[in-house]
Amino acid sequence: MNDDPEQLDRHVDHLLRNRKPERMPLPDEDALGARQTAAMLRAARPGVGLPSKEFLERMQRLIKEWVGQESLPSLPAARPSRRALLLTGAAGIAAGVAAAVGIDRLRQPRAPGARMALVESGSWQSITALAELPESTPVAFRSGGIEGFLIRRGSQVSALSAVCTHMGCILNYSKLRDRFECPCHGATFRTDGQPSNQHETRLPALPALQVRIERGQVEVYTAF
Amino acid sequence: MHDDASTDVAPFASPSRAVRLHQAAGAGDQEYLTWAYQTHVTPIYQYVYSRVGNRPDAEDLTSQVFMKATSGMRTDVSVPQLRSWLYRVAQTTLTDHWREYYAEHTGALDEEVTRAPAARENAGAVQRVDSLLATLPDNYRRVLELRFLRGYSVRETARELNLSETNVKVLQFRALNRAGRERASTS
Repeated sequence: MNDDPEQLDRHVDHLLRNRKPERMPLPDEDALGARQTAAMLRAARPGVGLPSKEFLERMQRLIKEWVGQESLPSLPAARPSRRALLLTGAAGIAAGVAAAVGIDRLRQPRAPGARMALVESGSWQSITALAELPESTPVAFRSGGIEGFLIRRGSQVSALSAVCTHMGCILNYSKLRDRFECPCHGATFRTDGQPSNQHETRLPALPALQVRIERGQVEVYTAF
Repeated sequence: MHDDASTDVAPFASPSRAVRLHQAAGAGDQEYLTWAYQTHVTPIYQYVYSRVGNRPDAEDLTSQVFMKATSGMRTDVSVPQLRSWLYRVAQTTLTDHWREYYAEHTGALDEEVTRAPAARENAGAVQRVDSLLATLPDNYRRVLELRFLRGYSVRETARELNLSETNVKVLQFRALNRAGRERASTS
């Protein structure tokens, strides 16, 4: 059996409609390669390839269950303190990789190093030229699994995670209202990262990412 | 309920902070582990999605990854260890998926899986696509851009390129096969 344009187009059509493609034996590696390339292209369209809020919520619940089942009863210990719970809970629901490099830069503006022992293999990734950034208007970027915003004020550039600290959806920037808005449950954040509306409980601020300017290029420290 | 965490940017839990706190507070491994897994759902989903290109498969496979990963992992792990473990599980899950779906001719997969440097996967996906497209002849690139990046239907693409729908499908077929071979030879 040979692969053919009609059959491949049916596969493509399923991907473009976000449906499961049909199962079928493929004749050769080219046919497989074409389908894998189609998947890669499909995922490159902006805004595609992020989990839905329903899926994220379901996964949060499932992971809790699964981890619960696996953890040994021989660790009876210690209910975590309220404070530890508050903090881990906040990030847990939040974060995507963003949290993995969410550095509280405001308090400790330090280069990655000792302090970031847990981001062992982090690296600086060039995002854009400083000259490309408009004054005071956040620009979205994606690098190393990080979704974020760069904001230039004069010669200063800051970077914020674009992952909503509520359930982990990716925020949009509304130019009209000059704020970040979550498409999932409506949380909003000011451009300094502070939550600007009351959700069920007050949300944590968006974590700041480390950013530096090297030879006119804006670089962000990412986990990978 | 609200302590200073709600008013100060700094206490947002970066992993290092969370782990230290977790240790200091003698917090249960369970909470820490749950948190650590939960923070990786979005990146693992993105990684899987870029390999299968559709939501139902991406959701099924992502949840399989976490189900397998949570059942085989020690509890005393750092975030990077957990992350690379998750990517490894994701890779084997994807290999199984292709094998099961498209039965034969998955010989090339093994190599890809052992080679892939886990965590870099989401990095520069868009640049990778751009540079792949740049290797293609104009008409191949154009049909892929219209179909995938702009979401045109075959009919719309046909109108745009002034071709019949059949010819669009043929062009798309050749373009994807060519791009697939380019991808295999450069990666």
